[in-house]
Amino acid sequence: MSFMFAISFILFLLIPGPSLAVQVHGPPEGYYVHQIGHLLFISSIIFFLTFLKLDPPSPRRPWMFLKISMFLFLLWNINALIAHYFSNMLPREALDTPLDIFSHRILPPITTEKYIYFITRNDHLLCVPAMFFLVLALRAFRQTLDSEDSAEDG
Amino acid sequence: MEGISLYPVYLVDFTGAIIMVVFSVIAVYEAYRLRRERPDSVLFSYLFWLCIAFAAFSISRSFGHTLRFLFIWAGHPEVWRAISPFSGGLNTLTFAVAATLTFYYPNVTMVIARIRAKAEDLKRAKDQLEKAHDSLTLLNRTLERRVEERSQELLASERKFRRLFQGSRDLIFFCDREFQITDLNQWGANILGYESPEDVRGRSLASFFHEDKEWDLFVHQLTVDGFVKDFETMFSGRRDEPIFLMITAEGLQGPQDGIDGYAGIAKDITSYRRMTENLIYSEKMAAIGQMAAGIAHEVNTPLGIILGYTQMLKDDLSNDQERFADLETIERQTKNCKRIVHDLLSFARSSSAPESGPVDLAACVRHTMSVMQHSFEMDSIDIHLAIQEDLPHVLADGDRINQVVLNLLTNAHDAIGQKGLIALFLYFDEKREAVVLEVGDSGAGIPPEIRDRIFEPFFTTKPVGKGTGLGLSVSYGIINEYGGEIEVLSPPLDESYEKYGLNTLFRISFYQFLR
Repeated sequence: MSFMFAISFILFLLIPGPSLAVQVHGPPEGYYVHQIGHLLFISSIIFFLTFLKLDPPSPRRPWMFLKISMFLFLLWNINALIAHYFSNMLPREALDTPLDIFSHRILPPITTEKYIYFITRNDHLLCVPAMFFLVLALRAFRQTLDSEDSAEDG
Repeated sequence: MEGISLYPVYLVDFTGAIIMVVFSVIAVYEAYRLRRERPDSVLFSYLFWLCIAFAAFSISRSFGHTLRFLFIWAGHPEVWRAISPFSGGLNTLTFAVAATLTFYYPNVTMVIARIRAKAEDLKRAKDQLEKAHDSLTLLNRTLERRVEERSQELLASERKFRRLFQGSRDLIFFCDREFQITDLNQWGANILGYESPEDVRGRSLASFFHEDKEWDLFVHQLTVDGFVKDFETMFSGRRDEPIFLMITAEGLQGPQDGIDGYAGIAKDITSYRRMTENLIYSEKMAAIGQMAAGIAHEVNTPLGIILGYTQMLKDDLSNDQERFADLETIERQTKNCKRIVHDLLSFARSSSAPESGPVDLAACVRHTMSVMQHSFEMDSIDIHLAIQEDLPHVLADGDRINQVVLNLLTNAHDAIGQKGLIALFLYFDEKREAVVLEVGDSGAGIPPEIRDRIFEPFFTTKPVGKGTGLGLSVSYGIINEYGGEIEVLSPPLDESYEKYGLNTLFRISFYQFLR
């Protein structure tokens, strides 16, 4: 049995050919992966918030901050998803991007898509507050721990 | 060429990127502290790795945006285009990590919650088990204590009833359903004449009943009514003498329906019965004596007149031989009648007041024996005389005592006929404090059916003309007159009499004597 296997192995080595096993990843794949990443993040946050809704934890204050943070991250993800979509949709001629970055602009005619693109590009207006509330939640958790420790010491 | 400037967008982008980096670093620091403080917390672990992912995202994105501005501003947008995919890929990866962590945390929490719930269940079960164990331990201790208490109570009760059973002077018995004796107390065995209860166990209760019809009546009452109360009957024990018992018995209820056996207490009323019989007999004898005394008084006077006139006529008709002989016959028979009347008065103690003085009983016995000696020798009757020395003198009339001894010896002679033994015992009974005279003979004995009548006046078994039936009744009257007792034992049960072959023994006890 092992002899037959050895013969077969040697023959495979002596007669090589294309395996066709390695898939080539072209340019649009990164865009799709990135969008799928946002969708995955969105679905995980929805799952997380649903879980917290069904089984409300305590204490309330840190969890409230955490939920706000997650909700803002949810909005940010949706915003980013839309922003990426329209960024991909807009033609190169829709933007004027000279070397002077202070002169960059969206060229007329200004369509709804271009407005949406403009607005959704300001995603930091969502993710920065989300991060801020995450910090608040962590600090609130910390305060809770401190008060628990002092209660135990007391 | 108008349009919308992207400058505000870039400004927000740039500023926001920097703030994001700052916030993410702070967040990582806070999460790290939380995790360090509570390393076993799934939440803090999740938040820590989430913050790491966000920090990686923020830094990557911020660097990307900053570099983009720099490279475009420096006139090398192609460099930015080369770097951009790395930045984008890293951002995507951080989403995936954050998403994975966010998916994973609730699941882990749910798993932990289930494990915790199971642990709680197990803890509750353990607590319940411990409580049950404690309860069982307590119950066991309580049970042990109660068993101990009950055992002590039962033991005390058993001892109490055992003492009652063993110490009772009555006969206590237990029988099975077939009336086989299963248990009996020691005193009960003694009443029946046995040494030990073992000698009686297993025997039928019926075998002790003297009369079959009484046994039938006893069983009938016991089985029909379930009990008998104060049932008087006569038992035949090991000894020949009858035992009079008063039985109270009842059926014992078994574990199932029906009688499982019988238990009873029998009181020995032999002495009581004998005493009652004696009392009745004394009363009867007193009544007979009173009647006899009345008759004797009434008859005595006419007899005296008849005798007086007869003697006067004899004086007048002394020459008339034929009439004189008739008068002598009248005189002789009248004297016989007077003697009988005298005897009756002696029996009834209604003669003149008894003279009582110290009487040497031994001398009386020897005197009477000497009178009768020749008569006994003629009929080949042996005499056994056992007289204790230095006996106290009894308070009585010597002549009348002589008459009693003579009556008893005559009766003994008549009972033997020819060839036999007459035994006389005279002694002081220390226990009863009495001077006792016993006269026994080896005659045929007195049948039980007439034993109770022998002291009645005119009762005799001798042929007509040989005895008047007044001898024993006169003796009875005399002994009673001096506060003594006379009794008959036929046969005498004491073993000391067996060697003489005595079948009848008269025992006279004198309680009045000089010490």
